[in-house]
Amino acid sequence: MARIAAPTSRPPARGTPRSDRVTEVAGRVRLWTRYARAVFLIPALAYVLFVFVLPIVYNLILSFEQTSPATIASLFAPFAGISNYKDILDQSTTQSAIVRTFTFTAASLFFQFFIGFALALLFNMKFPLRRVARSLIIIPWLLPLLITGFIFRFLFQTEAGAVNQILQDLHLISQPVGFLTSPGWAYFAVLVANIWLGIPFFTVLLYSALQDVPAELKEAAMLDGANAWQRLIRVTLPIVRPVIEVVIVLGFVFTIKVFDLVIGMTEGGPANSTEIMAPWAYNVTFQQFEYGQGAALNTILLLIAFVAAPVYIWLNRESLRR
Amino acid sequence: MTRHGRLTGLLAGLGALVALVIMLFPLYAVVVASFESNYQLLGTSYNFLPPKLSFANYSAVISQQGGHIVSTLVIGVCTAILTLVVALPAAHALARYRFRVTAAAVGGLLIAQILPSVVIANSLFLIYHKLGLLNTYPGLIVADASYNVPFAILVLRAFMLGLPTDVLQAARVDGATEWKLFLRVVLPMSRSAIITVAVFAFLQGWGDFIFALTLLSGSTFEPITLSIYSYIGEFQSNLGDAMALCIVGILPAAVLLVVAQRYIAAGLTVGSVKG
Repeated sequence: MARIAAPTSRPPARGTPRSDRVTEVAGRVRLWTRYARAVFLIPALAYVLFVFVLPIVYNLILSFEQTSPATIASLFAPFAGISNYKDILDQSTTQSAIVRTFTFTAASLFFQFFIGFALALLFNMKFPLRRVARSLIIIPWLLPLLITGFIFRFLFQTEAGAVNQILQDLHLISQPVGFLTSPGWAYFAVLVANIWLGIPFFTVLLYSALQDVPAELKEAAMLDGANAWQRLIRVTLPIVRPVIEVVIVLGFVFTIKVFDLVIGMTEGGPANSTEIMAPWAYNVTFQQFEYGQGAALNTILLLIAFVAAPVYIWLNRESLRR
Repeated sequence: MTRHGRLTGLLAGLGALVALVIMLFPLYAVVVASFESNYQLLGTSYNFLPPKLSFANYSAVISQQGGHIVSTLVIGVCTAILTLVVALPAAHALARYRFRVTAAAVGGLLIAQILPSVVIANSLFLIYHKLGLLNTYPGLIVADASYNVPFAILVLRAFMLGLPTDVLQAARVDGATEWKLFLRVVLPMSRSAIITVAVFAFLQGWGDFIFALTLLSGSTFEPITLSIYSYIGEFQSNLGDAMALCIVGILPAAVLLVVAQRYIAAGLTVGSVKG
């Protein structure tokens, strides 16, 4: 697999300015040049303002408004205080969706990490056709998420479903299980699908981190009499730890916003048992037409996502300095 | 290789084989299902091999969904183009020039990467409603690019920071304007990062569901994710067709993985770790 294909020269050590920047500072960039350079930023600035900033600000305003299908045509609706937040948080489906979002995310990350790390260690060993194996494992990560959901809906169906068939052939069950029709099982089935689709991401990133562990270090540890487990814990883990942190933070961010998968598999059902925050917010907005409450729910989802922001920025602090 | 080494190699290979069989089984199941009739798919037992190889689902999909497949392709390609047009100049400026706001801009992009699309989609629906952008290609494509614009700027910037400065200096000494420097020197040198970004942006546009679901309703065009979604309502009657359409939906990812694997792996690693 291609290692990081990009940088042809190492970035300079922290604190040393890039060479062309030195001349720039020394030579005093003329004012018009500085404006000419800012022009490069205009398309992105306009885009970010329109597609990220405006919707978020609008969503925030909406969450404090008394909306109805009739107000959708006007720019603003009457102020409603925090009633949208109260109303939506009072619903038991919202409360369970918030709790479920966290348990779903935690369980997904736990299994994705351990399975992904195990596979990364496996792929780091020498065996025939490992290049092919490493590229095949990426596929689940690249599929449209709605299609993944639809495929798992098919695999978990009660009659003529592959999972039921396999379990029956192995004599683990005698009757087909209603995986998507009983609430407890449906949650489990969506969780399995989500773990499945995230494993490649963890595997690929952790594998590429393992490549950065110097072989001499492992050999030295081996000569010192460290066994495989000790080498993993004492030598490998500390070196790949920064990547593990990034992968878990990104995994958290991906998982709390899971939407397509749930819609494709269960549409939040049966009996709201697979309703997590993103599909529930959609449901409130577009099926119940409670725009204000949907916006309130979105603001809460946004706040949860933002918990990851300072951590993510801190992990990327090097790229901010450059 | 020692005997011990050969044995562990063999065991590792076996382990990888088992892992791959489990990980790829869902895809195998769709391939098999796409050759089966509805009757077979909804029978009493699951078929690990198609009882009879039938291309009926595919011909049905091509005749009924051909237009949607073309629409999806247009959306994917335009999403990639828009992403590059927006991201490339910004990445260049953030990598090459020193602005007071550089750190803040990079931080902002990292945060933008975190935003849940469903939040953007719900608001964009109401904004588009007022702007008359619902049910239009431009409206959908602008929204679809949101998956990748922050990622694209960060990846391209990380790459451009690594370009050899002496070449850029030489071009500047030769009197190249900023614009020419960007077009003639930086862009050709950034080819591989551009391909990486284009591949990811295309796949996101191709596979988008949230924005299509919220921003299109009764539109004259629809991407295949919406078509597959509408099969769910009639799960019983058209499962075979839906499975063939799923294969069409998976195809670009599979093809790109074969022809552009290098760029995909680079995007996965650079984009996340070196953001």
